[in-house]
Amino acid sequence: MPKLIIDNRDIEVEPGDTILDAARQLGLDIPTLCFREGFQPSTSCMVCVVKIKDRGKFVPSCATVAEEGMQVENDTEEVHEARRTALELLLSDHVGDCIAPCHNACPAQMDIPRMLRHIRVGELHEALVTVKEDIALPAVLGYICTAPCEGACRRRAYDSPASICLLKRHVAEIDLASEEIYIPSRSPGNGRSIGIVGTGPTGLSAAYYLLQKGYDCTLFDDHERPGGMLRYAVPEDRLPHDVLDAEIGIIGQLGAKFRMQTRIGLDLTLKALKEEYDALLIATGELEASGAETLGLHTSSRGIQVDPNTYQTTVEGIFAAGNAIRRRNKLAVRSAADGKAAAISIDQHCSGLPLIGTPRSFHCRIGKLVEGELEKFVVRASNEQRVTPMGGIEHGLSVQEARAEAQRCLQCDCRKANGCKLRQYAEIYEANPNRYRGVRRIYEHQDQHPEVIFEPGKCISCGLCIQIASRSGEELGLSFIGRGFDVKVGVPFNRSIAEGLRIVATECVAACPTGALMLKDDT
Amino acid sequence: MLDLSFVDEVIEKNGRGAEVIIPILQAIQEHYRYLPEEALQRVCETTEITPMQIAGVSSFYSQFRHRPVGQHIVHICHGTACHVKGAGLIQDALYRHLNIPDNDDTDADGLFTVQKVACLGCCTLAPVVQIDQVTYGNLTPDMVPRMLSDFLEHEQHREKYGEEQPTPAEIPLDGESEIRIGLGSCCVARGSGQVCDVLSQSLMGTGVKVAVKPVGCVGMCHQTPLVEVISPGKAPAIYTKVMPQDAKAIVQHHFKPKGMIRRLRHAISTSLDLLWEEEKQEAISRHSANKRDPVIAAFLGKQKHLATEFSGQIHPTDLGEYLQRGGFKALRHCVEELTPEQVIEEVQQSGLRGRGGAGFPTGFKWSKVREAKGELKYIICNGDEGDPGAFMDRMLLESYPYRIIEGIAIAAYAVGAQEGYFYIRAEYPLAVRRIREAIQQCETQGFLGENIAGSRWNLHLQIMEGAGAFVCGEETALLASIEGRRGMPRLRPPYPADSGLWGKPTLINNVETYALVPWIMQNGADAFAAFGTEKSKGTKVFALAGKVARGGLIEVPMGMTLREIVEEIGGGIAGGKRFKAVQVGGPSGGCIPAELAHTPVDYEELTAVGAIMGSGGLVVLDEADCMVDIARYFLEFTQDQSCGKCTYCRVGTRRMLDILERICAGRGKEKDLDELEHLARIVHQGSICGLGKTAPNPVLSTLHYFRGEYEAHLEGRCPAGKCKELIRYTVTDECIGCTRCAQHCPVDAIPMAPYQKHEIDPDTCTHCDVCREICPVDAIEII
Repeated sequence: MPKLIIDNRDIEVEPGDTILDAARQLGLDIPTLCFREGFQPSTSCMVCVVKIKDRGKFVPSCATVAEEGMQVENDTEEVHEARRTALELLLSDHVGDCIAPCHNACPAQMDIPRMLRHIRVGELHEALVTVKEDIALPAVLGYICTAPCEGACRRRAYDSPASICLLKRHVAEIDLASEEIYIPSRSPGNGRSIGIVGTGPTGLSAAYYLLQKGYDCTLFDDHERPGGMLRYAVPEDRLPHDVLDAEIGIIGQLGAKFRMQTRIGLDLTLKALKEEYDALLIATGELEASGAETLGLHTSSRGIQVDPNTYQTTVEGIFAAGNAIRRRNKLAVRSAADGKAAAISIDQHCSGLPLIGTPRSFHCRIGKLVEGELEKFVVRASNEQRVTPMGGIEHGLSVQEARAEAQRCLQCDCRKANGCKLRQYAEIYEANPNRYRGVRRIYEHQDQHPEVIFEPGKCISCGLCIQIASRSGEELGLSFIGRGFDVKVGVPFNRSIAEGLRIVATECVAACPTGALMLKDDT
Repeated sequence: MLDLSFVDEVIEKNGRGAEVIIPILQAIQEHYRYLPEEALQRVCETTEITPMQIAGVSSFYSQFRHRPVGQHIVHICHGTACHVKGAGLIQDALYRHLNIPDNDDTDADGLFTVQKVACLGCCTLAPVVQIDQVTYGNLTPDMVPRMLSDFLEHEQHREKYGEEQPTPAEIPLDGESEIRIGLGSCCVARGSGQVCDVLSQSLMGTGVKVAVKPVGCVGMCHQTPLVEVISPGKAPAIYTKVMPQDAKAIVQHHFKPKGMIRRLRHAISTSLDLLWEEEKQEAISRHSANKRDPVIAAFLGKQKHLATEFSGQIHPTDLGEYLQRGGFKALRHCVEELTPEQVIEEVQQSGLRGRGGAGFPTGFKWSKVREAKGELKYIICNGDEGDPGAFMDRMLLESYPYRIIEGIAIAAYAVGAQEGYFYIRAEYPLAVRRIREAIQQCETQGFLGENIAGSRWNLHLQIMEGAGAFVCGEETALLASIEGRRGMPRLRPPYPADSGLWGKPTLINNVETYALVPWIMQNGADAFAAFGTEKSKGTKVFALAGKVARGGLIEVPMGMTLREIVEEIGGGIAGGKRFKAVQVGGPSGGCIPAELAHTPVDYEELTAVGAIMGSGGLVVLDEADCMVDIARYFLEFTQDQSCGKCTYCRVGTRRMLDILERICAGRGKEKDLDELEHLARIVHQGSICGLGKTAPNPVLSTLHYFRGEYEAHLEGRCPAGKCKELIRYTVTDECIGCTRCAQHCPVDAIPMAPYQKHEIDPDTCTHCDVCREICPVDAIEII
């Protein structure tokens, strides 16, 4: 029974066990992409490398048999760097967007393609739930948002972008007009209360998300009615007040308390508030520097000075967001996004978690398309022109129009963004996908298979699908085609993936460590 | 409809097992000139070969083509020697002349398909192009159109008379006289075949019964075609760079026609010839040389011929002659008098280390295979030499097939192997032919087959031809290839000694290693160990090429310094330029600067200076060679040859190449050098096999010794004037207005201006170098 040392810990394993087996016995988590229990290790991805101390070399732990006296390094910066480099190399040739460009451009990071997929099959409620995960006031924004998402839409380069903003308004207004308006569920009250100064998009959004987490929220405003700039700066012909009231109403129903016509600094001091509440959020909109200073907060040229990740001001427990921290911001959606981000920080602060702000997810991006690639996106969407609402913009889209418009979405996102191991490890190891950017493969999208989509550009050549197909007795199956940097997985004789994988397509999807093979019906 | 009966025949001949896929595909391709899908389908229907296997294998090896080729295939050699001598410019010229678009490889008429080939192994003729079987060497871009028309002109002739290798007429021996002529691939490429024909014809004419004997490589590639006349009682006479028209005069000079009438007739015809013979007579004296000639003496003097014993003296496939010179004595000695353990002990004593590059102790490897459990063991001769700039193995296989077989047989006896393979690169047809003939001869004479040399021990050898994948030189990839799979290396251990071919214990050694074994067994371990240094014993064969005056195939004792090799054997740098560096070990090796040329040939010493012994390519570089370009060149090769398995090699080498290409194009960024170094280290430390592990060496060594040159590129300068994007061609005031440059410029970048200074339009200029070559007054300058 060989004994070895991993990260200074002794371990004894069965003869023939690998270093990975040994590490797992010790409860160490070594990342793997190409390795799968029960299959031949292909030693391809190299993210499971460890260093054998006396040989000075990195070896793939999944296939290196543990030997007596081996000294293995797993948790050192050098090994992490080797793994990071492997991930960065894989990402440098990973032709895929984890999230769609529209999603990425949205300050609130709303999952637009998912919303649109729901709309196209008539699941308007699911569409709304998707929207409201990130946007508390979708109907309001549906009227006034300048839609950076549409600016980023890939389809813009082909004809015109999908009408995302109107579609979002469509699902929100359908909901508002329904008998049972969607009210998200609330966690049981946690006994903590948050004071929010300001009832504009930032304050309202923060309240919406904090309430769901079980916080008590009190919103202060010196105006008569809540809404801030949305009510007092946007003309009503652009944003009907009944829409605004309806969405504020939902936040009221969630349990928000509004203390209107109360001016902090005059009627109440910040100090007094701080004592009353577990945390405060300053969401007053643009403040005079002197105004902020009188509150005892530091300012910069952009407004109240905050930590850019956590939104906490220089005073612990006091947060600030929205135009209070970004002078001259014109984007209501930016303010709404700030509100949600501040809510996440406040929750961390109040629950004693490390205050880190919104965890930054890892995104891989294709970036600029090369000639001929856009067409490969376009073929899978409806070829219709962008819909102009028959009843005029003020009436929004009809149900039929919405469906048709949603069909225009190119669905640039990855259906396996949440199941992709490459992305997970890239996040953990803080890989920079642009570090080795260079010559890359051409984007391809194969959807002839009834259940499965194949995007070869995301393949990391681990060969698991080839092994599965070959074991299952698929008649054609899959094979590596070519070699070296240009190697790819394909079906013999240039057949389609539908012919190659008649039996084990879904099994291959489950084994595929990236989004190269994904299920069609994963919304 | 394609006639598939040929496919059925091939299958009948090769069998139906999955492992015979490569020979089947090779036969199909040779017949149809590509792999038609119908033929492949047929193979799947009638054999155990699956569509998955056929798709994987046929796309892995670069020999296989899936679309029809032009009538003639033009192989442009991109070996190291050819690269530094302008292969890129030749390629540009070919594409331009044949009007082939960048993304294609065949001209519009379907006449020529142009393919890059890693190395044709004719490094001393660089740059080299091979059209079908015809080799053209020492080319300049300007010569490309002439080369193509010459090829087509002679095409008809070849169609009529076939493509046979020249074989000298059978003439009974007259005393001990013979005329030896080197007929290795390089020699043939330089016209030895025609010389041989003319020699035979001239002898027929005289009636003198003297054998014209083809011999293996003499090593003096810079002097070929080389003819040596041996007459009893006289010193051998050597003629170098012999042209066909010289051959007759050589014969006349040495051999008097027999019989009065013949002599008379001969006299008449020669007197008729006399009018224009004069020049040829002069040619004879010009080319005449002997071994005391200072040039030849310098080239040969310091060499020691062990692996290449009887260099230039013996007929490669004449078994009788090999036996006469003591061949197979060593094998008999081993089989009859020594136990396998004693053989291994002797090899261990000799200090012999693997000549394939890594230098693993040979005897130790043998003992591992010997100790491995199992009735069935295999032995393999690794002849998949693919390094650009190396042709040692080809020469050994072509020139000394029996010696290699004997070495293999001794090794097989020692380790207990009974089955074996020669794995030989597909690009070496002559080597394959000679080994095949030699195996047959040995079987007939009882040196291979059952009960060898009267013992109870059997050994069967067969040939497996590679299909164009450099990585198959890596032993685990080579095994995969013999087993009929994609040549992908796997993680070791297990080593082939424990689990090799079909999972059985397998000994794999390089050609040169085996070639040294008979000498060791015959002369003793001590005699071998007397050559060399403390840890590197014996001799090493090198292919000396590049900017050296006398290129060739040499065998030197270990411990000789690189400077001795370059300056004494190689005669220093050709053309009076400054010696800059030696590239040792090809794409796995490194560049050793001239300042370190005192480094001896020794495994450890070469590794210490950032190179490796490698398989023996020595490419000499001068001041006109850009070291960044050299690094880029090698990386381009390795990244193209990567099997694509592990991330570090598959993507890492590509990213390193991206950075190098950027630097060569003057678009490098400041942090590029650090990133390049970082990647190089990780690719080196983490890749699965030797190809990836050593691929960064050319980059690391040039970064180490020539960092200044990299930095110059970052500033937009190529000090050697090599990197196209960073240089400009201009005309100096020396211009006499002769218009030759304007006439020859293939892209009309130089307007005709008789008696005036010419000018080059930098936007049109493609840096093809034709004008500079052609200018009679050296008025074209690169800035």
